Amino acid sequence: MTDALHLVQAAADTSGAYGTFPGIGARAAVWIAAEVHLMFAAFVLGVPMFAVITELIGIVSQDYKYDKMSKEFTRLLVFAYSATALWGGMLLFLLTTLYPKFWAHMARLFGTSMWIYAALFFIESFTLYLYYYGWDRWNQGRAKWGHWTLGLALNVWGTIVMFIANGWLTYMMSPPAGVTAETLPEQVGLANALFNMTWMPINIHRLIGNAVFGGAVVAAYAGYRFLAATTDEERAHYDWMGYVGNFIAISTFIVLPFAGYWLGREIYEYNQTMGITMMGGFMSWLWIVQAVLIGVLFLAANYYLWIGMSRIPGAERFAPYTKWMLLLLIVCWLVWATPHTMIANREELAAMGGSHHPFLNVLGVMSAKNTAVNFMILTTFLSFLMYRRANTRPTVRWAGTGTAVQGAMFVLAAAVVMFYGVYGYFVESIVRIGFSVYQVVAVLACIVGVTVIDLFIGRGAQSRGAIRWGQMPERSQYALFVLAVTFTWLMGLMGFARSGIRQHWHVYEVMRDTSPFAATPALGYAANMITACVVIFLGLVAFIFWLGGLAESAMHKPKPASGD
Amino acid sequence: MWKTNLKVLSVGAVVLAFYTGVAHVIPQLESEVPETITLGAGATGEQLAEAGEKIYHGAGNCASCHGLGTRAPNLLTDDRGTGTIGARCGRREPGKSCKTYLFEALTKPGAFVVKGYDPIMQDQRRTLSMEQIWALVAFLEAQGGDVTVTGQDIVDAQAAAGAEPAAAPGAAIDVPALLAENCAACHKLKGEGGTLGPAFDGLGARSAADEIRQSVVDPNAKVAKGFEANKGMMPPNFGQQLSKAQLDALVAFLAGLK
Repeated sequence: MTDALHLVQAAADTSGAYGTFPGIGARAAVWIAAEVHLMFAAFVLGVPMFAVITELIGIVSQDYKYDKMSKEFTRLLVFAYSATALWGGMLLFLLTTLYPKFWAHMARLFGTSMWIYAALFFIESFTLYLYYYGWDRWNQGRAKWGHWTLGLALNVWGTIVMFIANGWLTYMMSPPAGVTAETLPEQVGLANALFNMTWMPINIHRLIGNAVFGGAVVAAYAGYRFLAATTDEERAHYDWMGYVGNFIAISTFIVLPFAGYWLGREIYEYNQTMGITMMGGFMSWLWIVQAVLIGVLFLAANYYLWIGMSRIPGAERFAPYTKWMLLLLIVCWLVWATPHTMIANREELAAMGGSHHPFLNVLGVMSAKNTAVNFMILTTFLSFLMYRRANTRPTVRWAGTGTAVQGAMFVLAAAVVMFYGVYGYFVESIVRIGFSVYQVVAVLACIVGVTVIDLFIGRGAQSRGAIRWGQMPERSQYALFVLAVTFTWLMGLMGFARSGIRQHWHVYEVMRDTSPFAATPALGYAANMITACVVIFLGLVAFIFWLGGLAESAMHKPKPASGD
Repeated sequence: MWKTNLKVLSVGAVVLAFYTGVAHVIPQLESEVPETITLGAGATGEQLAEAGEKIYHGAGNCASCHGLGTRAPNLLTDDRGTGTIGARCGRREPGKSCKTYLFEALTKPGAFVVKGYDPIMQDQRRTLSMEQIWALVAFLEAQGGDVTVTGQDIVDAQAAAGAEPAAAPGAAIDVPALLAENCAACHKLKGEGGTLGPAFDGLGARSAADEIRQSVVDPNAKVAKGFEANKGMMPPNFGQQLSKAQLDALVAFLAGLK
């Protein structure tokens, strides 16, 4: 009888609930469509942020090259929007045909917001067309400000679109308290479902992440154009563009971990089991992979800055410090990537007395890892500061004192980070978790304080010589490609983490995944999927860049003289 | 130009291969789906314990907390000289057999939080079936003790669950028991209970039902006057620990205290 009941239940759960996809299976098909759509979405949300900021700098500074760069990227957006919509459409069709029962649940709950989403996408697209095609028409005086406002509106529409979609996916992660498998979608309430517990942390995390991504893609594009440049002028332009893209990517990336802490805390507050699954359960090794990637990001970003100093007169005085900074970055990277438990065979486990290494075990805990990552952030910020100060000679009388105060801020922040890192070993875990906040606050305060002082020190500073844009070794540009590929892969990895912590649930503890692909795969399989998504995305982006180049060359092609 | 393209492609390929390779050399842990157990009334303790072991180490995700001894007591090793869980479970709560204690610890975990640990565990009925829960009990009993769970326990539990009236908020739920398990340590009602939070007497006259619900699921959003110093002490996860029916019943009961 029990067996019969189970069969009936199983049939009820799965009958018509899932479709099949040839070759790779339904999950892989939806995975690729969702991830590539998300990567394009990040691109079309991140690049307008970049464009509107650089256009504003161009207006205020009256420096045409910022305006030119901004327009160059907006042209690429026109192509990228189509790709985003195509992949979004593909995702929708795959969901409706492969996961119809799940999608029916989502549509019943979020139907109204889906209509608003589609309408906003239209508005966003037409704002983009106006923004791009009106560039040369509205390029002076008030009209230029009006044009810039269009760019701002483009960002606002894009952000609202993203916030709506984030409501859908965060509902799947953290449905409101009290919602159960028996609750009808109508009883949940649209607002209640959209504004769930992880909605705002994801919004902020993605907003910053998109800015990082936009900057990184811009930098990689510039890197390629630099390598392909045939004139010094072109090389100088793309060298400068690469620097600006990298600057935006890394400066926004530095604050991304803080948004990540907030998201993590909200996940723990929502459901301890989910938090533990994410950090200490089957996903715990994912963070080691993440540490490897972020270590590469820090090293590549700093490498690019250090090489870039070779084109700045006066930067030689900082050169002796870079080897020590490199050493610190590597040591911190190794600490961050140290696992808490070791992969070992039986003999090795017996020799260690368990899966915890007698020495490395000390480095594999959060106290050490938080300390390491904060030191990496401080080191990268110091690289930026050196780069910024390289070709200037301050003229304000208090420059020496100001620099000493800046130095003291670094020392103080480092001391706070180290103190709480060590103290963390002697307190309960619940107390230790709070220490990361003190470490973060110390680092953020240092970054803000030092930057403010530096802005005032730089007022009226003498130049030690103009930056020799374009005189950059070719190898530096490959660091920009490494950054772009790594950011894209990291986005795929974090997408897997966010989605995977739901485990065998479509909607966590509300709607069970009863498909043949309900088990959450191991990292090896996930890595294959992420790499496939990155290859598809970057391949299409390269195609879009090539199309942009075609359009550019067509515009610059001399017209035949009349009468010919 | 083709040389440059090739170099760029090579750099991209090497980076992708490196990350993919790293992800392949670390332990390959998969999150399994809890296996459906179809053991009937005739199932033996050994069969159940065997099924429970798979859930404990696999889809139940139990070892994430109970395997380290930092988030929750390690159940498979000795705990402060009291033995493994099968040996110590019968002594944990006076008057409760090992089997009853383990079943209640899985289904009402807030009632039996071991000293020194936080109440982070949730009611396992949210994710596991009755068969799976009893299989876990059998496996835990087997860790240093005798397995007393039989297939009949599953049948009885299912019959008891099936006998419960379905909906009617406030009717099917034993609210006094809910209060005793989850609230009484901090809130006083009719002279009994703790004082860390405001007393429940007359709560319905002071607050609307929606406000009471918010205080349960999001206790830090608004703190009662006079208890500001205790902000953050109430667990923020009652919204997840209680079922919708339990939450509705609890709110209805508290709102009725006028």
